[in-house]
Amino acid sequence: MAGEDRHQGPHTIEFHDVTVAYGRRPVLWNIDLAIDAPGLFAIIGPNGAGKSTLLKAALGLVPLAGGTVTFFGKPFADVRRRIGYVPQRETVDWDFPVSVMDVVLMGTYPRLGWFRRPGPAERDCARACLGRVGLADVADRQIGRLSGGQQQRVFLARALAQQADVYFLDEPLAGVDARSQDQIFRVLSELRGEGRLVVVVHHDLRTAAEWFDGVALVDMRLVASGPTASVLTSDNLRRTYAGPLDVLDEIGLAVEQARRTR
Amino acid sequence: MDPAAFEWNAMHGWAIATAAMVSAGCAVVGTLLVVRRMSLLGDAISHAVLPGIAVAVLAGGRPGGPLVLLGAVAAALVTVGLTQVLRSEGGLAEDSSAGVVFTTLFAAGVVLITAAASRIDLDPSCVLYGILELVPFDTIRIAGLEMPRAFVTAGLVFATILLGCVLTWKEQLFAAFDPDAARAAGMPVTATTIGLLAAAALATVASFEAVGAILVVAMLVVPAATAELLSRRLHRMMLLAVVIAVVSAAIGYLAAWHWNTSAAGMIAVVLGAAYVLAAVAAPQDGLVARLAAQAALNWRVTAEDCLAFLWREEESARRGPESRDRGGWTLRQRVALAWMSWAGGVLWTADGWRLTDSGRTRAETVVRSHRLWEAWLGHHVKLPLDHLHPPAEWIEHHLGADVRARIEAEVGGRDTDPHGRAIPPEQTS
Repeated sequence: MAGEDRHQGPHTIEFHDVTVAYGRRPVLWNIDLAIDAPGLFAIIGPNGAGKSTLLKAALGLVPLAGGTVTFFGKPFADVRRRIGYVPQRETVDWDFPVSVMDVVLMGTYPRLGWFRRPGPAERDCARACLGRVGLADVADRQIGRLSGGQQQRVFLARALAQQADVYFLDEPLAGVDARSQDQIFRVLSELRGEGRLVVVVHHDLRTAAEWFDGVALVDMRLVASGPTASVLTSDNLRRTYAGPLDVLDEIGLAVEQARRTR
Repeated sequence: MDPAAFEWNAMHGWAIATAAMVSAGCAVVGTLLVVRRMSLLGDAISHAVLPGIAVAVLAGGRPGGPLVLLGAVAAALVTVGLTQVLRSEGGLAEDSSAGVVFTTLFAAGVVLITAAASRIDLDPSCVLYGILELVPFDTIRIAGLEMPRAFVTAGLVFATILLGCVLTWKEQLFAAFDPDAARAAGMPVTATTIGLLAAAALATVASFEAVGAILVVAMLVVPAATAELLSRRLHRMMLLAVVIAVVSAAIGYLAAWHWNTSAAGMIAVVLGAAYVLAAVAAPQDGLVARLAAQAALNWRVTAEDCLAFLWREEESARRGPESRDRGGWTLRQRVALAWMSWAGGVLWTADGWRLTDSGRTRAETVVRSHRLWEAWLGHHVKLPLDHLHPPAEWIEHHLGADVRARIEAEVGGRDTDPHGRAIPPEQTS
């Protein structure tokens, strides 16, 4: 993990001096973070700490104001097929007229390329992924008729269908029932067992300590990162959850104001 | 309609065919706009293409010709671009910035056309309202067949849109449902969005001659919104939107001919009526279906309350001579009891209503649900005794056998409720 470089070759993910700004206002400052497969890695921090932004920055969904992110030593654009992304559940419209199967099949779209439609092979793959998250029997249901936990598992199945090596999940356990939570953790552990890396934005410290190998504590900047036991110390947690970092916040505002009034 | 008054001839056929063709194109584009929650942008584009058309006509293009189609698409993309710029740089909300951009561009188009009215072959009122009735008189000869020019344009545009839609179906679907994940996965989200906006511009401009700039909005949005009420899959929704659009175009045209009024206006009115009909009568989410489901639930609750009451009466009679004072049945309860006596749950006797065996079984299930829930609340939430009855009274109608079994396990297998009354055993019928 970060700090000790006994690692051979490039890291699975490496954030190097990453700064992200919304508009002109920085929300993440100078993040240095290296994560290696296999593993279950959690990004933890208070509301508004920039956890989701960190994922989106790595995936090119928000522009970097500074720094670089590399996967397997390469820029994201070169390896995007190898990276699966599960956004927060609330970011999509669950009344959208598609079935569960339709959504999982989307995971196979990227490897199909232009003009090719999903065929029997893709359908088999999607069905297998649905089975893996325990939803084989609702494949034909409209997605709005599922519970929150089932919807989250549909999203996970879609990411599985992408057959990636690195998975990014944004709050996959928010508002999820106990059964779905167990199922999701079981699948994530299986992915680790297959040698993959799973990075999860997470909010619950109790389950974090129990399930994850590595943790990064984030509050607009990286507070600490490394093996779970060494990072989740009371001192680190106090520094992460001490309240908004007034100085960083105010500097961000000042930068924004200066651009505005110019 | 008086059959003698309606002289069918090819003119009417061509007018209807043209209206149907432009509606179908709009319905395909509109479906994607509606599911993306972008119908406002469709509205904006349909207006903002006007200056593009005006400039193209001034530059020598003819209405319905390729130059005009190109001008319209360019104007549509400028509208969307300007909207984004106003939003990111001017700090306006998306709806306000779209409102500023498209009204300004539309007004500029009106000014241009009116100023150049003497020089160009473009009638402002035709642009606003369309003249479907005159479409069949401007014809072109293709393969020996005399066809209205507007029909040919609309047909080509429809074919283009349909082909684009089929070829990029999965890209459109993914980008519409979850643009962030699609972009992260490397899907061409921006390109598909631009393609959709260009298609909206094409569909709009092809519709101008027939229905005008104002009513084309109805064609973009209403068939898709109607189909959304009736379908749970995107491809079915699109097909349905096209069918609704085509049928409404035909009905609207004939009705307008009958009442001697604007065909485009009548088509839009028919579309609106179709929407209302779907909203009222949709099998799953329609108003009628929802009211019926609500009423059925209310009657079931009343009936079960009556059964449970009779069961408790029997129970207290078993325990001792003191009788429960029930007062009279309300009218609603009487109706429910009469209906249940027909269904075999209760019997009318000299002593009043009595449970039959099947009624007793059902009543016991309700009472069991009620007392189990009271026991659970008393055990897990530690509510005082007088807080237990109201929630149980409401929840007793909604528990299935599996939930009851789970509750029973969680209250530690106790067989009385917190008031000390026995919890009836699970019925096995």
